[in-house]
Amino acid sequence: MSLIKWLLFLHITGAFFLIGGIVIAGTLNLAAAGKQRRPSEIATLYGLIRFAVPLIGLGLLFTLAFGLWLVHEAGFGYGDGWIVAALILWVLGSALGNLGGKSQRETRLLAERLANEGDAPSAELRARVLRPFPLAASYASGLIALAILGIMIWRPGA
Amino acid sequence: MLGATATFGATATVALLGFAAGKREPERAQWLRRLAFRIGLGVLVPAFILMRGGAQWIADKEYPGGKHEPGWVGVGFIVTEPGAILVLALLILTWLGTRRPDSRARAVAPWLASVYLVALGVAWFAMSAKPGG
Repeated sequence: MSLIKWLLFLHITGAFFLIGGIVIAGTLNLAAAGKQRRPSEIATLYGLIRFAVPLIGLGLLFTLAFGLWLVHEAGFGYGDGWIVAALILWVLGSALGNLGGKSQRETRLLAERLANEGDAPSAELRARVLRPFPLAASYASGLIALAILGIMIWRPGA
Repeated sequence: MLGATATFGATATVALLGFAAGKREPERAQWLRRLAFRIGLGVLVPAFILMRGGAQWIADKEYPGGKHEPGWVGVGFIVTEPGAILVLALLILTWLGTRRPDSRARAVAPWLASVYLVALGVAWFAMSAKPGG
């Protein structure tokens, strides 16, 4: 099998890891936002989201590294509009995802503490789970990943 | 591609919740299994339909009537067609696990989801690397 086919496989593997990880984190995050969730339940769901983090990290690494290598091997230019747009969106999506992830870590720690202190549903915890900015950052990062997927498939201007 | 990546993520979520349920006390385990079933029904099934529908659409467009269809396209369909039965079996087992906490279905479901993850891996290798294509 040629180098370019291996690179394409590894680049697409990165996309599977990245979007797969985003789906895991997104669905568990939505499940945690349910009404009357006890802190121990939220801590369990946010604890499970941690399994998606290495998947997303590997996905980001594979898509970028093998993507850049593919650009060189396939004869595209690093200055092509669709590649520049994808790179800008990759940086923006990573930054937003990181912001959302930091907030989720803090929420999980609070949920674990409240679970050990009686495990009663808490308005403070629910407000934290539903904080608009981190939630918007996480979902925007997911939408950006889908936009990058669209750019990779249609290659506008190529 | 979107359907396939979402199917991968949804299957992994169902597997993760199923395995996590096996390590929790009965009440918490049942809650996790119910969640796995809801995610299976509400996320995995639509993602699978999107993947299968999208694959058929692109195959009909690129290779109308199945003429000169390369082998790697066939590998994709070999994985997705029995995959429908596997997804259905996974849903039934997850549902049984929520109804009968002592049934073996609760232990089998996450492993079945893991098997499907491996099958999806084979399909994405065939569809992206196109060996022999």
